[in-house]
Amino acid sequence: MSIAPAPTIVDQPDQETIVAPDTPWIVLVWNDPINLMSYVTFVFQKLFGYSIEKATSLMLDVHQKGRAVVSNGTREKAEIDVFRLHEHGLWATMQRDDA
Amino acid sequence: MGRKERPPIERHGGGFRFNLDLEEREMVHRLMGEMRSLLEDPDDSDGRLRRIYPKAYHQDGDAALDVEYQRLMREEILASRLKGLDAVDEFMAAAAGDRATATEAQMMAFMQALNGIRLVLGTLLDVDEQHDLGAVPEHHPMAGEYNLYDFLSWLLDWSVRAVQS
Repeated sequence: MSIAPAPTIVDQPDQETIVAPDTPWIVLVWNDPINLMSYVTFVFQKLFGYSIEKATSLMLDVHQKGRAVVSNGTREKAEIDVFRLHEHGLWATMQRDDA
Repeated sequence: MGRKERPPIERHGGGFRFNLDLEEREMVHRLMGEMRSLLEDPDDSDGRLRRIYPKAYHQDGDAALDVEYQRLMREEILASRLKGLDAVDEFMAAAAGDRATATEAQMMAFMQALNGIRLVLGTLLDVDEQHDLGAVPEHHPMAGEYNLYDFLSWLLDWSVRAVQS
């Protein structure tokens, strides 16, 4: 019979303190009936430096498909992008990039 | 040359020139003032500000993150909106006659403020994709609000054209 080692108490991090891996996040802009197509295109150019072609393409995705991914990155970066979009009145949210 | 022959806002020199008539300028000024009052003295049951403070995290599992975002960023959004209104007041108040000129930064503030008012009015009116500018009949009980909304949409669209020109 072997002598079992005495059990040791290990500090378990609670759910709140678990550091998630640096999962990439995506920022989405959703279609809404208030924001003008021209204004949405302009905001994409201004905030992200996109060309008029890319900004227009993203705006059309928002308008026709209901949403578009406009940026991605760490959670901190995504939050900043969402905040700036909110400052400009666009309907933006973020989620983990599970794709 | 009257404003009828000019766009309401156009790039001029290093900035932007507003060719609004007195009535239009007064309307913009009044709406900006009403927006300021609404922001500074909000009623929590007032749904008109819903689009001013939207969710950042839309997935159910991220609800706690959204609460934290709102706690930290709501004041930032408010401060940003009020700062924008201050910038608009500054250049509109300084305007002589029916002309106002704005710097690039003031123009950006103007557009954000204009769109903020549209978000509030559009939420109040519950506008949908089918809304056609100028198509609301005169006898509609909210024809006045629709006219304001359409006026601001027209002005914002011209603002975008001006900054992209």
